[in-house]
Amino acid sequence: MDFELTPEEKAFQKEIREFLDKECNENVVAETLSMEGEGPYSKELLRKMGANRLLTPRWPVEYGGRGMGAMAEAIKVDEINSHHAPFPLDGVEVGNALLICGNEEQKKRFLPGIARGDIEFALGYSEPDAGSDVASVQLRAVEDRDEFILNGQKIYNTEAHFSDYHWLLTRTDPSAEKKHRGLSLFMVDLKSPGITIRPLITSAGLRTNEVFYEDVRVPKENMVGEKNGGWTVIMNALYGGGGGGGLATGTKRVIDTLVKYALEEKQDADENQWIPETMAGLYIRTHVGELMGLRATAFADLNVSPPYGGGGAVSRLLGGDTRRLLYNTAMQILGPYGQLAKDSKWVPLNGEILREYMDAPRWTIVHGSQEIQKLVIATRGLGLPRR
Amino acid sequence: MDPRLSEEQEILRKSARDFLTEKCPKSLVREMENDEKGYSPQLWQEIAALGWTGLVFPEKYGGGGMSFLDLSILLEEMGRVLFPGPFFSTVLLGGLPILDIGSEEQKEKYLPEIISGKAIFTMALTEASGKYTASSVKAKATADNGNYVINGTKLFIPDAHVADYFLCVARTDDKAKSEDGITIFIVDAKSPGISKTVLKTIARDKQCEVVFKDVKVPRENILGKLNQVWGEVQKIIERAAIAKCCEMLGGMEVVLDMTVAYVKERIQFDVPVGVFQAIQHHCVYMLVDVEGSRATAYEAAWRVSTGRPYSSEAAITKAWVSDAYQRVVALGTQSHGGVSIMEDHDMPLYYRRAKAAELTFGDARFHRKTVARKLGFEVA
Ligand SMILES: Cc1cc2nc3c(=O)[nH]c(=O)nc-3n(C[C@H](O)[C@H](O)[C@H](O)COP(=O)(O)OP(=O)(O)OC[C@H]3O[C@@H](n4cnc5c(N)ncnc54)[C@H](O)[C@@H]3O)c2cc1C
Repeated sequence: MDFELTPEEKAFQKEIREFLDKECNENVVAETLSMEGEGPYSKELLRKMGANRLLTPRWPVEYGGRGMGAMAEAIKVDEINSHHAPFPLDGVEVGNALLICGNEEQKKRFLPGIARGDIEFALGYSEPDAGSDVASVQLRAVEDRDEFILNGQKIYNTEAHFSDYHWLLTRTDPSAEKKHRGLSLFMVDLKSPGITIRPLITSAGLRTNEVFYEDVRVPKENMVGEKNGGWTVIMNALYGGGGGGGLATGTKRVIDTLVKYALEEKQDADENQWIPETMAGLYIRTHVGELMGLRATAFADLNVSPPYGGGGAVSRLLGGDTRRLLYNTAMQILGPYGQLAKDSKWVPLNGEILREYMDAPRWTIVHGSQEIQKLVIATRGLGLPRR
Repeated sequence: MDPRLSEEQEILRKSARDFLTEKCPKSLVREMENDEKGYSPQLWQEIAALGWTGLVFPEKYGGGGMSFLDLSILLEEMGRVLFPGPFFSTVLLGGLPILDIGSEEQKEKYLPEIISGKAIFTMALTEASGKYTASSVKAKATADNGNYVINGTKLFIPDAHVADYFLCVARTDDKAKSEDGITIFIVDAKSPGISKTVLKTIARDKQCEVVFKDVKVPRENILGKLNQVWGEVQKIIERAAIAKCCEMLGGMEVVLDMTVAYVKERIQFDVPVGVFQAIQHHCVYMLVDVEGSRATAYEAAWRVSTGRPYSSEAAITKAWVSDAYQRVVALGTQSHGGVSIMEDHDMPLYYRRAKAAELTFGDARFHRKTVARKLGFEVA
């Protein structure tokens, strides 16, 4: 047993940390915090990261990666988050699936571009009537000689307004007996005629999108996996990354900031006596979640299943709850000042707490809601019977 | 980072599990709850013969020379079966402190007795306040002709009724700051002036009141430094807290397993109750708590084992595991329904011990305060 990163991982951590300390300047941070999506500064940073092979450390060297493990990926995610750097998660997720399900030509066409920070993908799964039940998607793909013709609507496709490609889950067989057996996956150029993108904005100010398809044509060679085999592809995209993330540098930094704030502003008041123990509780939760995630990630790298299965999903469950608790508590510490938005007179801590508080619910909904995670852990991890 | 046990540790785990499954069934646990001694001397000799009492001590005293992490794995296994007896007291509160700060003579005298299973040790630290703080140590040891005389009442002392020796923590200087006037004495339990009363506790473990009345202790029985030993006492408590968490982890695993197995079989409304999402979510949260406890307990034990500082991790771990075990027994009981609150069910054995373990070596609140201090807060 050992809880230290390997020398190689530490070196990678140092490299990406120093790189982002230097390159993730205030213009980039402002773009990230605006939540409007990537702007020119973010794009420039991503390309620089790509040039240094910092975007896809886990991929094979021939496709622009470093051939490292899930732990390196966790380190990357941690550093990106704690620097407020842009987060090209979708491209990496797409690439993970392409590595497993794509043909050689697709890999050569897309993976090096993603790794360089040139090509970006938006995930196109959800539809108005297909959320958690993603196998219900209706966006129709009809074969027409060497193309498919697409018609229908997607919703909450967050990066669609600045991405190059759509990773699109479609229905190719409406009469399939099992609905998840009639799905196919396409990589669609988002500049194709017939695509309309409309903004949807969350109450935290995060830009996401509705995407409408009207007689959009996509060449057959952009289909990933088999026709009607889309389910396998998205399972690999969602779970192929393996590991459980882990490192919580950003969250620990937020806790430090709050502690400093409380020490400066709140020390004497009797009614603030609850703060130290509550903050300690959140620190403990964060630390435990971090260790659980690290263990899951290390198990993934060893290709060993952890005791009781469950793995990364188990630590994500804890992490999602912790985020809500943390920012709710943070708002209570700020008291009436917590209401003040960025750029308001008297705003504390640059309005960041309010922003995160408003954004916190997202993390227990996206990418498989907490309830879906629990369903998966209960049935796959613990072997409980299905309905 | 490597989350796996070593091959040797896997062997230790398996042999401990096999042995304890056979030798420590729930019938023995129940019998020992009502037994005067609270443990089986015969089983005690068997575990000594297996090398468990000596596992963590250096070979030169006759021990196994294994690591604290190895010991933690053994404790996890003992926690699974609720192993009754003075193992924890003897090793964590007796032997290891002597190994830490004892003189060579003391080590040579006492460690072989512990290792061979001959002597039972415990630590007489807490008093009426029930707290693990320096200012709570009020029992006095007064110098008298080069020797010391101890007076005071110690409370919640585990296994004192069968102990051969106490490590008695007493105040030797009441003018100094409370941290600066404390000394540990190795006291022969047969010394005149010691009286013990076994308390009736929730876990029916044997915690005692121990009254020291004019108990004479020779000067050479001071363990570590005169007056300046509180820092060591804290380390002993922190390490014991980590060890306790490993024991608790074992208990939590069993409660989870037992619950998952039951909800797969119990039929209501024509289906196993494990089909219902409410029950599934109970089980999933139990798993989160078990795995969270495992991650933090192992990390802390690994830190002790590898000589890293572990004070923060002890507080984090005991805070988390104390609460987690409470949640696990609560959800486990809820998922079982009525059957699991019947006295003859195994669940109450764990339910009662979860609370006892929470309350020893500082509960979650106590340790959260420690973490708060480490974050920079001033906390009373
Ligand atoms: C900010 C944001 C960004 C997003 N980005 C993307 C994106 O880029 N691409 C994309 O494709 N999608 C995206 N999504 C969509 C996201 O994946 C879905 O919101 C999510 O899968 C949940 O679906 P839903 O919102 O329709 O909720 P529903 O599925 O309608 O769920 C409603 C409630 O019912 C619960 N529930 C549903 N099924 C079950 C069940 N079987 N058992 C128990 N409880 C259940 C859910 O947990 C939830 O609490 C985004 C969503 C948001 C909010």
